[in-house]
Amino acid sequence: MGALASDQRARVRVVREPPPADPGADDAIVRSVRQFAHRQLDPLKLDREGRIPPEVLDGLRQLGVFGLTLPEAHGGVGASLSLATRVIAALAETDRSVATTVGLHLGLGSRGLVRYGDPALQAELLPGLASGAMVAAFATTEPGAGSDLSKLLTRVTAAGGELVVNGEKAYVTNGGLAGVVTVTAASPGDGSLERGMAMIAIPTATKGVTRGAEERKLGLRASSTTAFHFDEAKVPRRHLLGDPSTGKAQLEHCLAWGRTLMSAGCLGAATAALARAREHVAFRRQFGRTLGEQPVVRGQLAASTVRLEAMDALVAAAAAQDDDAALHRWSVSAKVFCSEEGTFVIDTAVQLHGAAGFLENSGMPLMLRDVRVTRIFEGANDVLLTHAGALELQNPVQLGGLPEPARLLAERVARRVARLRAQLGVRAFRRPELLHQLGQVVVWRDAVVAGCRRIGDPAWQRVLGREASAAVRAAERRLHPADDLARVLGGAR
Amino acid sequence: MTITPDANWEARMLELIAEVSVMKVEQIRPEHRLREDLGMDSVCSLELISMLAEEFGLDISVEEAAGVTTVAAAIAMARRHLLAGAVPVAAARSA
Repeated sequence: MGALASDQRARVRVVREPPPADPGADDAIVRSVRQFAHRQLDPLKLDREGRIPPEVLDGLRQLGVFGLTLPEAHGGVGASLSLATRVIAALAETDRSVATTVGLHLGLGSRGLVRYGDPALQAELLPGLASGAMVAAFATTEPGAGSDLSKLLTRVTAAGGELVVNGEKAYVTNGGLAGVVTVTAASPGDGSLERGMAMIAIPTATKGVTRGAEERKLGLRASSTTAFHFDEAKVPRRHLLGDPSTGKAQLEHCLAWGRTLMSAGCLGAATAALARAREHVAFRRQFGRTLGEQPVVRGQLAASTVRLEAMDALVAAAAAQDDDAALHRWSVSAKVFCSEEGTFVIDTAVQLHGAAGFLENSGMPLMLRDVRVTRIFEGANDVLLTHAGALELQNPVQLGGLPEPARLLAERVARRVARLRAQLGVRAFRRPELLHQLGQVVVWRDAVVAGCRRIGDPAWQRVLGREASAAVRAAERRLHPADDLARVLGGAR
Repeated sequence: MTITPDANWEARMLELIAEVSVMKVEQIRPEHRLREDLGMDSVCSLELISMLAEEFGLDISVEEAAGVTTVAAAIAMARRHLLAGAVPVAAARSA
């Protein structure tokens, strides 16, 4: 591993010159990753085999992507979240499983260690992670607990100079590849530990750590997903990442990175899907002209095009936030918007391919299967929408100087917040259905604001504005009175 | 029956706080800060005040709730509202 690591550092240095602050260097990194993915990755084969073969992992190591956001002092490239989103999008243009594997390693897998890790622990683990000799994973979801991070059953206690971890984690992306996994656990205040929520970096070779079998999945089949079981797994105290008393904020920082990088994966996949749809409709003729000349098809392409640009702008806006609270908010909107609208773009692309889009060999079904989970993992969208609504209600965002479509949505959000505050006061926080609905307007507002800030063309802004307005109205119509729900669900018809 | 500020409703409040925090009810003390000590984020602490408002039938604005950062402050706020008008439990529950 030592020889490999130093060899990797040499390669990374090559990739890094000229320095990454130079946008030209960033562009070169993104270009080389895109080229690698295009030449070396065969998504249908990866999907069939259900794993990333060793030679592809080696290629990714040589490319230096595993060290992209890891500190230079430990053999990484020290790149920003912004550059990382561009690299993940470039990978996802060709293969979503590989993009997910690398994105998870850079974000949730290693972020806690990079930002909160003890220096001695960093020196021990980061060089291997930076070279890709070791892959990182992140384990928080528990069987049966889903997205509720406040009720962790996994426990960490202090015994002597060690931490002892007990519990079970499910759906761990990169589980089968991982050499180290960051685990969230409740720390109940035993010993000298602070109470709270802790993140602990646990090498997977630790005694008491058991890995479950590879899960069989709808999509992202070449990426690894396993469960983990921790039975009196002991690690030295320095494996505790940061301070458990502020563990939730630290966890939120890592989750925000994860959401932003996942959003970038949606962006890359949707970019590829739309490009292929455009190519298809440019050649396929029906009723005497190409599909691309049919008004209905043009409308669908435009709806996808404005969404894609808005996704791009939203991911860039999220990744550019230095402040944790701002990163948190933007990453929530980016995650929900990019997964929902990425699905829309890919589904539209399948539709525009006609029957050919239903055949696995076209590659379109794989894109559809791969995108499905993005609305579920990294915080299920319905949970995040409710959260986005709660954040807005708590602390409404003030936006000025917006172009018309963005201004209209911002006003809609503001009116809704004012009404909820006046009618329900603090009790509105116990009305998830109202927060969820507010969240949908918030997410579209953020997408339209980011999109309109980037693209000044009034026609483009109008099309996005109309798409947003239609989506928001649809969401509003879906809010049914509780009495109606009770009758429908109670079978009293 | 009406709720009045006595030891019983304080005990119920602590139960509710324990429900959304990472601590057991017997560990919670008045000086605990909702965020730093009890592991809540800002939205979570507002959800807690919201639960208290529902449980005891209190009308509390978002602004007032946002100013509450400790267990003692939450109890004081609830006491203030309860003393302003004792509310029948049944009415509070169905509100």
